Amino acid sequence: MDYRENTDELAFRQRVRAWVTDNAPRNWRAETKTEEQMGALLRAWHRKLFEGGLVGLSWPTEFGGQGLTPTYEAILNDELGAADTPRVSFHAYLGRAIFTYGTQAQKQHFLPAMLRGDMQWCQGFSEPGAGSDLAGLRTYAELRGDKYVVNGQKMWTSGAQHADWCVMLVRTNRDVPKHKGISCLLTPTNVPGITIRPIKISDGSPETCEMFFDDVEIPVENRIGDEGAGWRIAMTVLSYERGPADIGFIATLKSTLRRLEGLAEETGRANDPEIRKAIARAYVVGEALRLNVMEQLSQRVAGKPPGPDGSVARLLLTQAEQTVRRLELELTGADALTGRDESDAFGAYLRSRTISIFGGTSEIQKNILANQVLGLPKA
Amino acid sequence: MRVNTPADIASIDLDKAWRTLAEAGLLAMRARDGGAPMSSGVDVMFAVEELGAALAPAPLVGALLATELFTLADAPAALIDTLTNGEARYAIALSRQLDGLADASALAGVVCFGAEGANAALALKRDGEARYLVVLPLANARVLDGADPTRRLSAFTEAPVGEVVGTALSQDALDRWTALALALVCADMVGAMRQGLKEAVEYAKTRIQYDVPIGSFQAVQHMLAEMLVQTEAAASVTRYAAWSVDALGVAESLLAARTAKAYCGAATQVLSETLMQSYGGIGQTWEHVAHLRARRALFDRALFGDESHQLLRIADARMGRA
Repeated sequence: MDYRENTDELAFRQRVRAWVTDNAPRNWRAETKTEEQMGALLRAWHRKLFEGGLVGLSWPTEFGGQGLTPTYEAILNDELGAADTPRVSFHAYLGRAIFTYGTQAQKQHFLPAMLRGDMQWCQGFSEPGAGSDLAGLRTYAELRGDKYVVNGQKMWTSGAQHADWCVMLVRTNRDVPKHKGISCLLTPTNVPGITIRPIKISDGSPETCEMFFDDVEIPVENRIGDEGAGWRIAMTVLSYERGPADIGFIATLKSTLRRLEGLAEETGRANDPEIRKAIARAYVVGEALRLNVMEQLSQRVAGKPPGPDGSVARLLLTQAEQTVRRLELELTGADALTGRDESDAFGAYLRSRTISIFGGTSEIQKNILANQVLGLPKA
Repeated sequence: MRVNTPADIASIDLDKAWRTLAEAGLLAMRARDGGAPMSSGVDVMFAVEELGAALAPAPLVGALLATELFTLADAPAALIDTLTNGEARYAIALSRQLDGLADASALAGVVCFGAEGANAALALKRDGEARYLVVLPLANARVLDGADPTRRLSAFTEAPVGEVVGTALSQDALDRWTALALALVCADMVGAMRQGLKEAVEYAKTRIQYDVPIGSFQAVQHMLAEMLVQTEAAASVTRYAAWSVDALGVAESLLAARTAKAYCGAATQVLSETLMQSYGGIGQTWEHVAHLRARRALFDRALFGDESHQLLRIADARMGRA
């Protein structure tokens, strides 16, 4: 493989960089104090990206995408990460569930609005009793005539507070093995019976949500795929959740590392060999992540769908992020603990602990690698 | 030329192994054809990985690095031909800490790497600011009882009279050579560890305890999965380093190589320890291959500078010299 970008990719990167300079909101962290402001910001940012022709780059053209390789998504994410823009709302991999498994009517109804940013989405998979054991989910959807009546609770639905719609997994059959009784519903978040409550994570931020369903009626035409096909849809969605998006993380890690090198200089420790080694070590693990992701990306460009080996990159991401945030905490020193630090190094450290949890814990990632890549027998 | 137990090493005909390398064209991979190497850095990486996987006792890395030194020093083409066709064999003289080419004026403690069948070793000679490649005869050299029995090391027993070859080596040329050296050593480590993981996984599927394969225990699964992650990451950084040897400027290529070596060096110690652990008691025995993999990997880890050595130079490259 060639690690260099080709002429078209380079031109695209330059176009994105110029576009971001002209269009990205400035000073947005300081100016978004409330969740309402954050929701409005994310929606406006999504629409702006759409107007700039930067949404759905790797979606097929028949669904309103541009049919480009995942490399273009990676370049976009890299530039957005480097410019520290607001995050891109969760649409690309959720939309994949709709254009892979949806009916013609569902595609026409949802995909254009999803791309434009008129519909914001969240993912309702996990539950209080179904975390690592996702297939053990119990939120029940009972078919009554042409409606499902949904009761139960979802947890860790990040972005639900800003979402109009939720791609959710529900149990539609309790009498078959657990993986086979799951279906996938597209649920509006503003219908009667749904309550959304933010969950504060360890740094105090309302990073994610829980959702309660009390006799919520969902028309049967909002189901995607067959009844009982939910598990397969969920696995497709999850396999696309990572990949090019990780490049955005890498850009953030790179700029954080540069900031930490400056911090070492300012605090007079730039000549301490132990500090120099720790900084270089953070660079090295970041490079291991970047280069592994690039290889996986090149396989995707060559047409290989994402598979269980994506868990390698996920664990490398965890290693890189947690290494950098530990280093940041160390370099910030006592200020991180006394409230004098304005860079929020302690918050960043706590948030880095979630990386080995969300989207499948590190232990689950290792189970996936052991069983599906190494072929070891199930416990 | 695959090694599975220490006894295999003595039974392999090393001269024949050398001829096999020559006949397969492997010794000529980095010879120049119209200025460009015959094989890309990535192709050479694949070959070295294969020999690392086999724990092959053939000194391919040393031979490729010797050819590269003669080439960078503009040695006569006829002399280089004798290396690439396998007629002449040169070892690489290393500083006592194994972290770089030896200085020919201070040979105490110098170790010659890739010395199997070699009758001379290569070192550097300083003349003011200039550095030259010098050939040191290995007559009466003493074979060392090194940690890694799959690759012969030797030491000088008397100060040899060296002979300068070619023109002065620029810093750029030396950096290019170091980048290639680091990438090839990483490839050897990746090969040794990847094969080790493959074998450990097979063992975990077949070794029965408590009436089930030990590979069904989550503790064993996680150990092997972590090995997979570290091996794949090591392979990714190595591949980039090998690619960058031909594709990038010298500073970038050297940084990529140091990054790979720092990553592989740290990973390989944990990997070789975990490998020995994954076999339980049998993995601690002399007859078992696990310690041979660990020995090869731990020698590679130090060869041309360990993690600490590379990290400090990466910091120099990013933050300026301390």
